[in-house]
Amino acid sequence: MFHALAHPARRTIIRRLVAGERNLSELAAPLAMSFPAASKHVRVLERAKLVRRRVSGREHLCRLEAGPLVRTTDWLQEFRALWEQRFRALDGLLEDLQRSGDGDPETS
Amino acid sequence: MKTEGLQVTTPSDLEIVMTRSFQAPRALVWQALTRSDLVQKWMFTPPGWSWAACEMDVRVGGRYRWAWNGPDGRIALTIEGEHTEVVPPSRIVHDEHMQMGPGAGGDCGGQDAEPWQLTACSELTESDGRTLLTMTLTFPSKAARDGALASGMEHGVSAGYDTLDRLLPTLRS
Repeated sequence: MFHALAHPARRTIIRRLVAGERNLSELAAPLAMSFPAASKHVRVLERAKLVRRRVSGREHLCRLEAGPLVRTTDWLQEFRALWEQRFRALDGLLEDLQRSGDGDPETS
Repeated sequence: MKTEGLQVTTPSDLEIVMTRSFQAPRALVWQALTRSDLVQKWMFTPPGWSWAACEMDVRVGGRYRWAWNGPDGRIALTIEGEHTEVVPPSRIVHDEHMQMGPGAGGDCGGQDAEPWQLTACSELTESDGRTLLTMTLTFPSKAARDGALASGMEHGVSAGYDTLDRLLPTLRS
């Protein structure tokens, strides 16, 4: 699964599929790559059982598999890590401001 | 410096709520959240990105605009909106419209341009010299909310990989 997600294009595909089922052209369009190249990335995700493809008429429709990565709790963990990084930087800034007096809280 | 960890919850299908405590008086945290020169110092940007604009008119009806350049110097991400409530030093509400730009990089940016929007409400309470920040993000739909959660995976790449590393052993079995 790590390999399946190692390529930024595949992470983009996953992120777009969170919003719902998409056909292959819709997935390929924003990736700045050829249709076959995009299709190859989808196949890697299929093999990792992260994405399921079904054929409807001429369309190949893809959706996320209910797997460990697509549970909301996992997205939450990633989201939390991003914000914790920001808030740690804010801790440092607040400490600097208190030391230097630049924040001047009394006047606000 | 000891701080309480960040709590992230989803009390409804449309919301993400974050709470975090800071070792600083409320007036100071307010400044760090509302002064553009200070916001630029803590708002995390992915490696290789730089601030292109950070303009904040903090009053009701006032607009703000944050923009970042990607490694190639082109706009990677713009977040902008209007302040709808401003009550110093305790409460600020703004809407956020986000748009990825061509500088977001290779095959993960470009026209991957489904703009997001949300309403962000930040509330600050102080006790014993510590300040508790409660940030409530409200999205127009569950899909939009889940998409925003998923974006953490792309923007916090290294943190995301750490989580993947932890998940891996459980998936191999």
